[in-house]
Amino acid sequence: MEWWGQAISMAASIALAPLLVGLSQTTKARIQGRMGPSVFQAYRILWKTWHKETTVPQDSSWIFRLAPSVNVATMLVIVTMLPWTGKLPSSWPHNALVLFFLLAVERFWSALAGMDSAGAFGGLGASRVSTVGSGIEPALLAAFGVLWAVSGHTAIAPLAPWLRHQALGILPWILAASSYVLVLLAETGRLPVDNPDTHLELTMMHEATVLEYNGRFLAEQQMAGALKFTALIGLGWIYLGPVMSSVWANLFMRVGELAVTSMALGWAESRFVKLRYFQLPTYFAMATGVGLLAFYLVASGSVS
Amino acid sequence: MLVMGLLLSGLMIMVLAWYEQGARIAYIAWSVALVVVALLGLCDPTLSWLQGSQWALTPLRSWFLFLLGVVALAASIYTLGYRLHHPLWSAFWTPLFLVSMVGVLTAQNLWGFMTAWEIMALSSFFLVISHPERPGVVKAGYVYLVMSQVSAMLIVLGLLLMAYHVQSGEFAMWAIKAHELSAPEKNVIFGLLTAGFAIKSGVAPFHIWLPRAHPAAPAPVSSLMSGVMIKVAVFGIIQFAIMDLGPTNGAWPMVLFVIGALSSLLGVLYALMEREFKKFLAYSSMENMGIIFMALGIMAAGLDWHRPSLEVIGGVGALLHALNHALFKSQLFLIAGGVEQHTGRLTMDQLGGLIHTLPGIGLSFVMGAMAISGLPPFNGFVSEWLVLRGMLLMTLQSPVLVRVTALTLALILGLIAALAGMAFVKAVGVMFLGQARQPLPYTSLPRTMGAPVLVLGVISLLLGIFPGPVIAFIARRLLATRASSGALLVPVHVIVVASMLLLGIGIAAITSRVWDAPEVPRWGGGRQTTSAMQFSAASFTKAIRTTFAVIYRPHRHLARLGPYREDFPERIVYQGGTTPTWERYLYRPVSQAIWRIAQYSTRVQAGPVRLYLTYLLVTIGVLLLTLR
Repeated sequence: MEWWGQAISMAASIALAPLLVGLSQTTKARIQGRMGPSVFQAYRILWKTWHKETTVPQDSSWIFRLAPSVNVATMLVIVTMLPWTGKLPSSWPHNALVLFFLLAVERFWSALAGMDSAGAFGGLGASRVSTVGSGIEPALLAAFGVLWAVSGHTAIAPLAPWLRHQALGILPWILAASSYVLVLLAETGRLPVDNPDTHLELTMMHEATVLEYNGRFLAEQQMAGALKFTALIGLGWIYLGPVMSSVWANLFMRVGELAVTSMALGWAESRFVKLRYFQLPTYFAMATGVGLLAFYLVASGSVS
Repeated sequence: MLVMGLLLSGLMIMVLAWYEQGARIAYIAWSVALVVVALLGLCDPTLSWLQGSQWALTPLRSWFLFLLGVVALAASIYTLGYRLHHPLWSAFWTPLFLVSMVGVLTAQNLWGFMTAWEIMALSSFFLVISHPERPGVVKAGYVYLVMSQVSAMLIVLGLLLMAYHVQSGEFAMWAIKAHELSAPEKNVIFGLLTAGFAIKSGVAPFHIWLPRAHPAAPAPVSSLMSGVMIKVAVFGIIQFAIMDLGPTNGAWPMVLFVIGALSSLLGVLYALMEREFKKFLAYSSMENMGIIFMALGIMAAGLDWHRPSLEVIGGVGALLHALNHALFKSQLFLIAGGVEQHTGRLTMDQLGGLIHTLPGIGLSFVMGAMAISGLPPFNGFVSEWLVLRGMLLMTLQSPVLVRVTALTLALILGLIAALAGMAFVKAVGVMFLGQARQPLPYTSLPRTMGAPVLVLGVISLLLGIFPGPVIAFIARRLLATRASSGALLVPVHVIVVASMLLLGIGIAAITSRVWDAPEVPRWGGGRQTTSAMQFSAASFTKAIRTTFAVIYRPHRHLARLGPYREDFPERIVYQGGTTPTWERYLYRPVSQAIWRIAQYSTRVQAGPVRLYLTYLLVTIGVLLLTLR
């Protein structure tokens, strides 16, 4: 049962990942008063780029060629690790710390590929992505601080039953959730940290590292981005959301949550302006601080 | 017996130094013997060959001996093709350096330990000043010598106090009796030993010798110093301060945490700003020693609070990270030597695109960079995971203050890991990727230099995929753990994650046909592309420099030259840099104060013999009056 549930949810999250990106883009277009593309546009773009000619810039090495594969494989492993249905086969790896370090692998290779493209944009993107990454890492740990404080596990799955049995308290929950949302926006390259739609050298971050990519490699990068989006939204719901007892109910609930959240993110993105790059440390300090505060409330027993 | 043989045969190699080829082969053979003895000691420390009255092995000592053996073996093979050192000088002092480290690790009593320790400091000093004709080398060596002597003084004071209180200079007696000492005695000894060993391991605020001594020494020596010598200090802390003394004052773990956190944070921040490759690696060593110190803090906290699970996870984290750091840091220093021999440069901003001319070393560098940044599936991830896990364990069942401190430490470790990743993206990206920044006469490297580097990288990878047995071994044999806490240490299915990752990469690479992509000219914003368009080491880390301006205190100076320099400058000269805070505000005042005191003291030493005779008489008089 668990194996089936996990296999189906893995397949579903991979298949639905571009749809979520499409959903957020369409929502964003509608909010801005445009018709926008169909929600299935992301699939068409993937198909199109995959079948285009693939070239690499002069002076680049195997790092540039391998980086998209590393990124997509890392994201696939993360999607595989998440306990989508609330129940996992025993002996299944589902450790939150491993997940964070896998995100770092993706960041490392994106930045390396940016440096390898030997242009100004690649280096610019690499620098920005790494700088933002160094803010994300502690904020992510802080957002999960409540988890360690109460469950004592770094595994993701045992958390869900815990949430059912023992109330976290509404205030720490809100704080942890806000901290996580701030991190989610940063890590998936959304406004107010990064703008996924921009190609202006002043503002682009992740886009600059993939600027020199085309064809199959670009398709892989886009797929990796979509998977990351899916995985991080999913992780948030698994971490802080409700859990049903049945595997199937959980599965359907996750799909609904993912769809709603990606639309909500599309809406939120139209409401923010991008932060100045040098204000980002404050942003991450806030995310970290909020997570620490939630931890402090739970650890000190101020809120039961 | 065997240990004695190792020490004597090592000394023989010094004599062989004049027969160049013979000495090299003897060096390799000796390193192999070292690895074999270390493995014997790890498997069965009760073997009578390994035990002696003066020199003997225990599992813990064998572990560090094993680090030494592996690094020495890699360095000895590497030395065959290495050209940038004085062969006779290196061949004479390196064996002495190695023998002294074996002596430190195997000594059975205080006298053997301190003798070997001093020989270690002196022989490494002579190796650091291998090239006294180069600017700054003698000064670097002098700073190193002064720091090691201060460290040795503190250590010998701590050890003598211990010997006085235990009434014995034999280490075997210390293991039995030392934990019965009273709390104040323990405090003094712990403080002195920690300070002494901390200086030798180069953690903040004693780090100033690291970025001076490591770049001055030849690459194989740097790899030994950074890979093993600073770990010998860690051995000292684990053996004497933590294991022998047992539970101490609860404040000491906090001291270790503060030292560790400060050192790792400052280390990685300074590494980010560094443009010289070997100095960069030295700062990165400082960062990793900080991580080890935090792990030691967890171990000491577990002892003090009687929580064996913490003690074990901290101990395993520290010992495993020591091995991992020895592997990848020695590898990285050997790479630095290769880069220097290949191009004649070590400044990052003058290099670029080396992955095309040094493919093997480029691959190893990517592996080493991933390992040291704590990324799966490499070994650095496993040990950092353990340390992080230990901190999170500390957030449970503790007073609130400790819980918040522990989580803060975990956040700092997360920040460090991310910043280290950035620092190594900078190093790999600027030196090895992209386009060469200037035409340089490349010398090809022999295979004997590439092979050990690559093999060390492969070992790092294997340790990252299969850490289970090693962790279990450390917990069972080195720390003599009770079985119950073993379950904590199983690193969650690293094998599964690593194999999924490698398999996924393979499938994705084949599906996307990585080989089938022709090279085309890249886009330069409508202009001819030049190598100067690439990001340099300084521009890559600009945002970090601005964010942490409090620490760096950056300064810049822009000079416009030419007759109409305001509007039409002919040339713009830019100078930028960061302030060496510690040197300027801590070390310079101290050294100036010492000089001043020394100058005052010359007044009492005026020269005439009768004055000195008067001093003697007065001293004897005072002694006779007071000591009755």
